Amino acid sequence: MLETVILTIAKIIIFFAVLMFFVAYGTYAERKVAGGIQDRIGPLHCGPFGLLQPLADGLKLFFKEDITVAKSDKPTYYIAPILAVVPAILVIAVIPVDENIMITDLNIALLYFLAVSSLSVYAIMLGGWAGNSKYPLLGGLRSASQFISYELVLGLSIVCVAMLVGSFSLRDVVLYQKDMWMVFKQPIAFICYMIAAIAELNRAPFDLPEAESELVGGYHTEYSSMKFAMFFLGEYANMVVSSAIATCLFLGGWYAPFSILPFIPGFIWFLIKTFLIFFFMLWIRWTYPRVRFDQLMGMSWKVLMPVVLLNILVTGFIVTFGR
Amino acid sequence: MGIFESLKARFGEAIGDAREFRGEETIYVSKEYLKNICLWLRDVKGFNFLVDLCGVDRGVGKTDRFEVVYLLRNMDTREQVRLKVRIRDGERVDTVSDVWPTANWHEREVYDMFGIEFEGHSNLERLYLPDDYEGFPLRKDYPVRGDTNRIFYEGGAKTKYKPKRNDTTILNMGPQHPSTHGVLRVILELEGETIVDACPIVGYLHRGTEKLAEQKTYFQVLPLTDRLDYLAPPSNNLAYILAVEKLLGIEPPARAKYIRVIMTELARIASHLIWLGTHAMDIGAATVFLYTFREREYIYELWEMVAGARFHQSYFRIGGVKEDLPEEFIPALKKFVDTFPRKIDEYEGLLTNNKIWRVRTEGVAVLSKEDAIRYGVTGPILRGSGVKWDLRKAYPYSGYEEFRFEIPVGEVGDTFSRYLVRLEEMRQSREILKQAVEKLPDGPIKFEPGKYSFPDPEEVKGSRANIEALIHQFKQVIEGVKPPVGEVYQAVEAPKGELGFYIVSDGSEKPYRMRIRSPSLINLQALPLLVRGHKVADVVTAIGSIDIVLGEVDK
Repeated sequence: MLETVILTIAKIIIFFAVLMFFVAYGTYAERKVAGGIQDRIGPLHCGPFGLLQPLADGLKLFFKEDITVAKSDKPTYYIAPILAVVPAILVIAVIPVDENIMITDLNIALLYFLAVSSLSVYAIMLGGWAGNSKYPLLGGLRSASQFISYELVLGLSIVCVAMLVGSFSLRDVVLYQKDMWMVFKQPIAFICYMIAAIAELNRAPFDLPEAESELVGGYHTEYSSMKFAMFFLGEYANMVVSSAIATCLFLGGWYAPFSILPFIPGFIWFLIKTFLIFFFMLWIRWTYPRVRFDQLMGMSWKVLMPVVLLNILVTGFIVTFGR
Repeated sequence: MGIFESLKARFGEAIGDAREFRGEETIYVSKEYLKNICLWLRDVKGFNFLVDLCGVDRGVGKTDRFEVVYLLRNMDTREQVRLKVRIRDGERVDTVSDVWPTANWHEREVYDMFGIEFEGHSNLERLYLPDDYEGFPLRKDYPVRGDTNRIFYEGGAKTKYKPKRNDTTILNMGPQHPSTHGVLRVILELEGETIVDACPIVGYLHRGTEKLAEQKTYFQVLPLTDRLDYLAPPSNNLAYILAVEKLLGIEPPARAKYIRVIMTELARIASHLIWLGTHAMDIGAATVFLYTFREREYIYELWEMVAGARFHQSYFRIGGVKEDLPEEFIPALKKFVDTFPRKIDEYEGLLTNNKIWRVRTEGVAVLSKEDAIRYGVTGPILRGSGVKWDLRKAYPYSGYEEFRFEIPVGEVGDTFSRYLVRLEEMRQSREILKQAVEKLPDGPIKFEPGKYSFPDPEEVKGSRANIEALIHQFKQVIEGVKPPVGEVYQAVEAPKGELGFYIVSDGSEKPYRMRIRSPSLINLQALPLLVRGHKVADVVTAIGSIDIVLGEVDK
């Protein structure tokens, strides 16, 4: 019993450390990729190739003046940044990095993921509300409706996968893809999942709650120092986690593509695939303009919802009659 | 029959005398009939465009102290006429803002600067200065440094805006906001995210350029003009220098004209590049911004070669330009001309057929042809609305008649049309540059150096020193040029629209009155029209699409 507890704690610490490493270097990757796309270099001066830049950024944010808006709603003002980080960290509990490397193999992992990750909307809503300012409020309102719309699409696209696999356990989902990745069986679900995931993450082109050119900073306009950093920590943690989930659901988790290079350990493959999806998100951000709020909502309800529902219907037929 | 004769025949006694100076006709009219005359000119004579409206203080103690000056244009026949109304201190003039809506802000500015009130104006408030400011700065008896014993304004934001409905939210955008392109403030009345009304408030960067110009010699005014549209300083320099040259009645040599064209067309490209980058960034495409800055940097290097300065060059001189082009300039310019089309294709590759870009710009902030003319809008916005109007073709200046180029015209008048118009303008500017490089004539670069501008330094104290040049140098420093008594209006097609200088000379070495018709200010007036009924995000699109520069808006 004690052994299990110690082992679990050790696993949690390792997973957490790895996640934080990826979050920190996610910002570095973001800036390097942006630099490459924009015909410039990106961070260069902190350490070799600018590799210490995330540390410098973290330090800088720590020592910035911590402003509390005088007329803010204090409890919500303090809770919001915490809520931004916690859900992303909770999700790592169910991510299988390799066949036997995971914190826990929950049999309702997918439901757990949906439930926990949808909590992060509260961070943005409360953050927007608490600042007692109009720009964050608009950002908060936008994010509330955006989350509701895209959470549905996200959930339904996962349902497509779960119907084929017949299990909510992420480990089972990956094991099911041993011969053929889910992305080839459910391409539409994959596309819907990616769009919804980017929208859920408030990433460009769907970064409307933030929309710096319209809403200044959106929900985090009134935050500074580490409170501000927490929102960003949450955003990047969510990005990493979402990429990891997408890898498990659609890209065959730890399996090598078409069984080539089988001597490379599974978790390396897992990390490579996660990073590819992460890179895809960066690529999109630095290439596309931002859509407008009403257009975003229109896309969710008028395009993605019917498509994904139809996909479920077709999958249902196949599952029922195809066997 | 000229305008004066037909006006005289129609209105008789109400028409005073007419004067002509440098081909510009000025007609004095009585203030009682002003509105009727304006309506008649607009409806019968086709003067559909109010170019400019400004005030002139003729000096304390004159019987009719103030003049209100109206510059009208018939866009079909290209006729221009200047109307003048003389009034005593404290008299009121009828508003013409219901004849030409563009007069609204003009009249507010006149009220702000001279204290002349307009009868029937819908909201006669100060345009630039704060509400509780005392005094009218452009009056001749107002000290140039202000009254230093009093503190005029202690700050604090006042919202003059009264909501139209009681179930709306007021959102204050600016003066500190990432997408207002400077210290512009827009008060938005929102219903959810939909805009019920918008109210732009300007004046946060007001520096009193017009007042300052009255204190300086003609040559000393030149650097002030750099600071108007600081993204295209050569255009401002050109407009001002051409106005002074028109006043003096001189013409620069051909080479100087070509050099000026090269500099101003580079300015157009540089300004449009900034516009494209920031506009795309406002809509969320951050990458284009970095691309356009790369090419703009190259233009700045070119400018540095020629003028020694990157930003505020003040390179043009009365009667020519300061120095000849350096040897390395033409090859560098050729390289730019050769490579630039590929760069525009690159921007287009990122934006033009991008689905998101299209839905964000098509049908957004539409300005109809009629409204564009009524609101006095000029430049790419006017052309985007489908009016084929370009001052370089309509009233060619600085040798533009020798170049072949097209005027791009939009169809719909939405943000996307204006985007296409500006992109095509960059291509046309490159075409002009190409021709200018090919045809660049040799010869002098100044008209009678020494008489209108400083003589060559070599002739003053160098190897070719002579007493003649020394006297010229002395005279230039002490008094500068002295144009004859008169008044001129000279406009150029600046990147943002029609930039005009109206200069009144009393025969001294300083302008008696210098009025700047800044395109950004007048184009901005149409903003509420563009955004009503759209979403918050579209305000940012509309502001970016109007392409304002606050240095020019606030003068």
